[in-house]
Amino acid sequence: MSDLKLRVKEMIIERLKLEGMTPDQIDDGAPLFGEGLGLDSIDALELVLGIEQVFGVKIEDEAAGLKAFKSVQALTDFIAENAK
Amino acid sequence: MTDIPAHLPHRYPFLLVDRVLEREPGVRVVAEKLVTNGEPYLQGHFEGHPLVPGVLLLEMLAQAGGFLEAEPLHGAAIFLAGVQDARFRAPALPGDRLRLEVRSDGAFAGMMKIRGTVSCEGRDLCTAALLVKRL
Repeated sequence: MSDLKLRVKEMIIERLKLEGMTPDQIDDGAPLFGEGLGLDSIDALELVLGIEQVFGVKIEDEAAGLKAFKSVQALTDFIAENAK
Repeated sequence: MTDIPAHLPHRYPFLLVDRVLEREPGVRVVAEKLVTNGEPYLQGHFEGHPLVPGVLLLEMLAQAGGFLEAEPLHGAAIFLAGVQDARFRAPALPGDRLRLEVRSDGAFAGMMKIRGTVSCEGRDLCTAALLVKRL
């Protein structure tokens, strides 16, 4: 697991208080919303704020969010592409 | 800003903001609520020992958060979607002039997270983060 991907998973677990879950239990390709982790719109806001705080990357709108939140892999790629 | 009903959809007895002292839409709001002896909830909460219910302190913060929106909220469907890290450190009592200070943590896709403090004479009574959803 890449260092960035591990940090993304740790941020998700910490920010969403997924107690008892470890990074290796989150599948790289599983959808974050709906099936997969089953996150909802409240979680989306928490992740948007967490990504900005931890990685300094802004998710400007819903279109960008749809793309970035497709999976942990997609989110890691999004952060890598947009980190300053 | 004193014409609170022009901005918020809430009405007596559930309008819990009296004045807006400072306002920077999208960023920060400071408002005020004077707890009078006539507040309807004080009569039974509790008999002989009136205090403002903690959930109403959270509601005050949520209503103050309404002024983070630049436009009036009439007709807008806004719901309290979550409460995080709420702490009630001291009771709010009749006669207290409550300072309601809220700050936006950020917004995304119709959701906003705000952090707020209810204080009285420099002493924090309640702190919490609130999630507000706009449909």
